[in-house]
Amino acid sequence: MRGNAALPMPAGRHLLPLLRDPAHARGMRLADWDQTLRLARHARLLGPLGHRLQADPPSWDQIPARVQGHLQAGINDAAYHAQLVRMELRDLEQALPSDLSVTLLKGAAYLLQDLPLARGRTPNDVDLLVRRADLETAEQALKRAGWRMAVQSAYDEHYYREWSHELPPLRYPGHPLEVDLHHSITPVTSRTRADDALLFADLRPIPNSRYQALGPLDQIIHAVIHLFQDSELNNELRGLLDLDGLLRQFLDSEQDWRILIDRARAHHASRLLWYALHYCRTWLGTPVPEPLELPAPPALTRVAFDWVFRRSGPPKLPDKRSTLAQRLARQAGQARYHYRRMPAGLLARHLLHKGWIKVTAKNR
Amino acid sequence: MRLREQPLHALSRQADRGRLYLDQGAARLRIRSSVKGFIRNLHLLYGAFPYLPADTGFADHHVELRRGRRLRALIRPQSRFRTDGQEPFEPFPLHGALPLFEWGINWSFAQRANQYILLHSGVLARADQAVIMAAPPGSGKSTLAAAMMLSGFRLLSDEFGVLDPNSGQLLPMLKPVALKNQSVDVIRAFSDQAVIGPLFIGTRKGDVAHLAPNETSTDGLHRPARPALVIFPAFEAGATLDCRLMAGEDAFAHLAFNSFNYHLLGPIGFHAVADVIAACPAYRLRFGQLEAAIEQIRSLLDEADRNTQRAAQGHPK
Repeated sequence: MRGNAALPMPAGRHLLPLLRDPAHARGMRLADWDQTLRLARHARLLGPLGHRLQADPPSWDQIPARVQGHLQAGINDAAYHAQLVRMELRDLEQALPSDLSVTLLKGAAYLLQDLPLARGRTPNDVDLLVRRADLETAEQALKRAGWRMAVQSAYDEHYYREWSHELPPLRYPGHPLEVDLHHSITPVTSRTRADDALLFADLRPIPNSRYQALGPLDQIIHAVIHLFQDSELNNELRGLLDLDGLLRQFLDSEQDWRILIDRARAHHASRLLWYALHYCRTWLGTPVPEPLELPAPPALTRVAFDWVFRRSGPPKLPDKRSTLAQRLARQAGQARYHYRRMPAGLLARHLLHKGWIKVTAKNR
Repeated sequence: MRLREQPLHALSRQADRGRLYLDQGAARLRIRSSVKGFIRNLHLLYGAFPYLPADTGFADHHVELRRGRRLRALIRPQSRFRTDGQEPFEPFPLHGALPLFEWGINWSFAQRANQYILLHSGVLARADQAVIMAAPPGSGKSTLAAAMMLSGFRLLSDEFGVLDPNSGQLLPMLKPVALKNQSVDVIRAFSDQAVIGPLFIGTRKGDVAHLAPNETSTDGLHRPARPALVIFPAFEAGATLDCRLMAGEDAFAHLAFNSFNYHLLGPIGFHAVADVIAACPAYRLRFGQLEAAIEQIRSLLDEADRNTQRAAQGHPK
């Protein structure tokens, strides 16, 4: 867990240092911003970066006006997305039975809890969590109110309903955002399965809202699992920044950290948490106390993981061709994603089916 | 130094290496391209623009204009546009690289420049008094903008009214004016000063040729202008000039709801557009003849000027 390994390039040149400390901007010349803005845009971090820099006027004032413009555009864009989320939540509120317990996950939850990390963040969609027993009720209520599932094959529907942790995405015709209705935070078939009973026992009401949020520790664990199990590890700096924000927000004392580690153990996510803390600390300078009673992954696994995540995780310049190592790392990230998501037999069946669809579609 | 004072082969070399920079005012581009005909058109249409060296170092948009690969390099060769790795449009025929580039930049700018309110309008200025001309396509807006530039107005843009919500001023986003169909000959006949590029036949907007911005306009690339007058022009063949004052709320709605990002900016956009409407009289201008329309706009500007001066001296309007 130690080590101040060099930051991954090119994000490590200015983008990561800026996210660690806005004062880094004071030493930057206009030409330094060229790459930095492109990387931030690619990682969808213009808004968060803009907010952090504006919150530090001595740094903001030294940023060239052209660059301020891009950051302000990111901030404005994020405000619009936040408004879209609020509007969708308001409409959902009308549609969902008022006695149904509905929990917001990720972006929508960060927004309504007014967490600092939500500032400038652009959510993709709205994620709702209900108990499995309530899933049918929630789905029917939304469908009655006009939300529709995107048309897809019977196989896809089966995939979502049997093996996933959410329904196929729902959308109200004409609305810009999709709604994902979850009954758990991890796929039913995945290696790391969070303990649903624990999650639902620790829900917290969000003030001035009909919605609930996961307990603070479970929000952290969810973000950890989402990033280090449910992603392909590709272009995921934004997810890491979410984690950094949650850790800074919810943990104060050593006691808090001990409880977090216990919680991760209870959700079978200790190793994923180790990775999360490692990268938060080394890339983003998140204050993580040492030593932590968290078992490190075996050295070889750690090296392999690091090889992949350093190449694949941070944003890259969009018009620069990937190196062979970067392509291999991305494929390894994809393979790992599938491997962690389903047992081997099921995975083989799933990939065969997907492959078959591709072949037949090509020959049609 | 202006772009046209730089030899074509030097520009081509810069573009080959992905280090050709172009300053359009509100946006600075970095261009990579090995399409020779495209660079030649750029040299002509952006000739009056400032030349930027290969080590300029910062750009707002990183664009690439390249040939189709493999078979499409040989059979009906194509040009493709990318901005920061994104390809917003289907490929064009190779000789249509310039219109593809122009539309690509418009797309890229409209996607990103959300620090500004992007009105869908042409903007011209007399000294630093800006005329905002908003109208749907086909109403003769670009033609009128072109004729105004050739009559001594400074062109800021024929497509984007770039309104800065902090200063309330309009910024240049200067590009060649896209003239469509009959407008090309109209403008050629209007002034012998007009530098017009090749005609691109059968693009998705019909036949298009581009009018190069003149030196008066390119010299003001970084000189904002204060909104002074809003015009909703409508060309009608053979019509006599007809100019009517519009109600403020009407003008507001037309201006705001035709903007590229009014919906996105919420209160920022509302206040900025409201300030424009509060400061500027707005007119519907039906015209059949360019000279008469321009004369009318000049006198409306004079009047707006007098009113501002009177207001500044504390007299009621």
